[in-house]
Amino acid sequence: MSGKSTSQQRGWNFEEAAMPFVDALYNTAYRMTRNAQDAEDLVQETYLKAYRYYDKFEEGTNFKAWLFKILKNTFINNYRKKQQAPPQSDFAEIEDAFESRLSSDVSGQMKSPEEEILEDVLDEDVQRALDDLPPDYRMAVLLADLEGFSYKEIADILELPLGTVMSRLYRGRKLLESAMLTYAKEHGYLRSGEPAKMRNNQLREGTKEHK
Amino acid sequence: MNCSKVREIIFLYTDNELGEELLVSVQEHVVLCPQCARRIEYTQRLLKVVRKGCTRTTAPERLRKRILTSLRHPEVEWEG
Ligand SMILES: [Zn+2]
Repeated sequence: MSGKSTSQQRGWNFEEAAMPFVDALYNTAYRMTRNAQDAEDLVQETYLKAYRYYDKFEEGTNFKAWLFKILKNTFINNYRKKQQAPPQSDFAEIEDAFESRLSSDVSGQMKSPEEEILEDVLDEDVQRALDDLPPDYRMAVLLADLEGFSYKEIADILELPLGTVMSRLYRGRKLLESAMLTYAKEHGYLRSGEPAKMRNNQLREGTKEHK
Repeated sequence: MNCSKVREIIFLYTDNELGEELLVSVQEHVVLCPQCARRIEYTQRLLKVVRKGCTRTTAPERLRKRILTSLRHPEVEWEG
């Protein structure tokens, strides 16, 4: 057997194993870069890297998670660098904005039950809220909620301790929820002409919590 | 188990990531606590809305082609 046919075999194996994940990788890449061209480049490079390192993949471990780990590393190396390393304060500011939104929601006397507003949430609210999430949180949420990875798999992909994954998911989803509900509330008002919070006042009694 | 602990680990519950012992004590609590039961139901709905809202797009055909071409002909250089 010549070396040529062995490497050909290797190529077929890789194609067969890896190509079914193009859509999944592209989706996450698109949500992370928020740009179709960048997403394509990111996925393309992920595949080339994965092919180059295919020998290093341990048989019997999770191949999809392995591809996502390469995607994550490529994203961090290229894309964030390409963005000229946005100053840390950018992310901090986004978070602060979310935080104040969160706390004003929590303390607001007139707050309407989330249960009701949730029904007004449109797909575009979810996407807008996702796009606004700081990248670290966005990645964790995408891996869990879009791709359905387990916490352990996410920890493996992101190369983080399990506890950090849990807190990123918790905070990421809380930020996402807050933004989604805020957007839904905005168009909820416009549509009904009557503030949802008025409509829902009578429901407030049922939502008080035991201490 | 109390209400604030349930809140703290609510995603672990909805994500099916709780160990046997904690899972049982959450379930025991929820049976007796309608507030937490409602919270859990809300959280499950919330995550459903998120999953539905993340509409999946299929990768463009040209990307598929581009990947296959570069895997099969590594000598071809791709710009970008
Ligand atoms: Zn409770």
